[in-house]
Amino acid sequence: METIPYLTKEDVAHLDTLLQDYLQKSEGSLVIVIDKGGTVIAQQGETGIIDITIVAALAAGSFAATKELARRIGEKEFSALYHQGKAQHMYMCSLDEYTVMITIFGERTTVGLVRFYAVNVTNPLAALLKTLRQRDSSSTRLLPAESVPGDKIFV
Amino acid sequence: MSIINYANKEIQFKIVYYGPAVCGKTTNLAYIHSQVGPDNKGDLVSLATAADRTLFFDFLPLNAIAVKGFKTKFQLYTVPGQVIYDTTRQLVLRSVDGIVFVADSQWEKMEENLESFKNLEDNLGKQNLNMESLPYILQYNKRDMPNIAPITYLEYVLNNRKVRVQSFEAVASTGQNVFATLNAISRLLLYKFTRESDLASKRSKTSVLMSTVK
Repeated sequence: METIPYLTKEDVAHLDTLLQDYLQKSEGSLVIVIDKGGTVIAQQGETGIIDITIVAALAAGSFAATKELARRIGEKEFSALYHQGKAQHMYMCSLDEYTVMITIFGERTTVGLVRFYAVNVTNPLAALLKTLRQRDSSSTRLLPAESVPGDKIFV
Repeated sequence: MSIINYANKEIQFKIVYYGPAVCGKTTNLAYIHSQVGPDNKGDLVSLATAADRTLFFDFLPLNAIAVKGFKTKFQLYTVPGQVIYDTTRQLVLRSVDGIVFVADSQWEKMEENLESFKNLEDNLGKQNLNMESLPYILQYNKRDMPNIAPITYLEYVLNNRKVRVQSFEAVASTGQNVFATLNAISRLLLYKFTRESDLASKRSKTSVLMSTVK
C-alpha cells in the first residue's frame, strides 16, 4: 500500500519528535519527508524560508529521474542524492520504497554528519510510516457531502 | 495521493493535466497562475526546454477555500506531451488523484489525441489505476481555431466509455473555461473523498455530471 490515508495529531507528533531529534543532531536547517509522488508528509526546521510544496515536487521529480539513471547502470535506485551549493546544500535519501527524506543544511555542519544521522533515523521513520500506510483508509471520516463547495472552488 | 493531516487541518490533492504535444496543458496552468491571488498560489515552476516545450513537468501549487475547517491544497502538474517522453509521464503520474485530459480540437490532431488518451490508460495501468476509478475531466481546447472537429465527434472518440464524464469546450489562451475545468476536477476529488470517507449515506450525491459545457 503506497498511500498514507491520513495523519492524526499523535502521528504528526511522533514524526515531529523523530525529525526534531535528527535535525538537532545533524545540525541541518530543514527536513522534509515526502512521498515519491511529491506530497509533503512531515516537515521540521526553518520552514518559513522556502516554498516547501515546490521543493517537494522538484525533489520527487529529481529522485524519480535519477532512479531511471540508476536502472540504466543496473541499480534499482540511488538510495541517496547530494546537491552541493556554495552556502546551502541538499541531501535526499530514500526511507523506503515510497518515501524520501530531504535535508537542507548550511555551513555549520557537513554532509558526512547529515548522512550519518540520516542513516540512524531511517529505520524508526520507515517503521512508523509502514504502520501509517497499513491503516484501513475506510475508517477515515472527513467531508460530509454538504461541506463540499458548490459552484466555484477557484474563482 | 491525497493525504489528510488532522494536526495541520490540511488536505493535499494531486491533479495532472495530460494530453498530446502542444495541446495547451501549460497554457492552462499559466492562465490559472495569472488569475489566482498571491495568497492562494505558489510559483509556477516549468521544467522546459529552451524552446519552451515541457521537458519534465510544470507545477503549480494552489490553496483553495477551507472545507469544513480544512485547508485544501491542490498541486497541479502537466506532463510533457511529446511521444518520446513516456517515462517522464509515468513519473509525473505517480500518486495522482485526478486527471484533466486536454484534447486539441483541430482535425489534424485527432490521431494524437487518441494516442495520448490510450497512452494515459496504459500508464495508469502500470500503477494499478484505471479510468473507471480515477476522477477525470475532458477539456476540448483550441475552440477558436478554424479547422476544429465538432463537439459531437470529440465526444464520440474520447468520451465514449460506459460512464461519460464532464467535458468542456475551452480556449486556454484566453482563459475560456479554464477555471470551469479546474473547478470541475477539484469538485470531483472532494466528492470522491466524501464517498470514500463517508461511504454509506452520501453515495447518491456523488454522481458524475455528463454535460458538455460551452
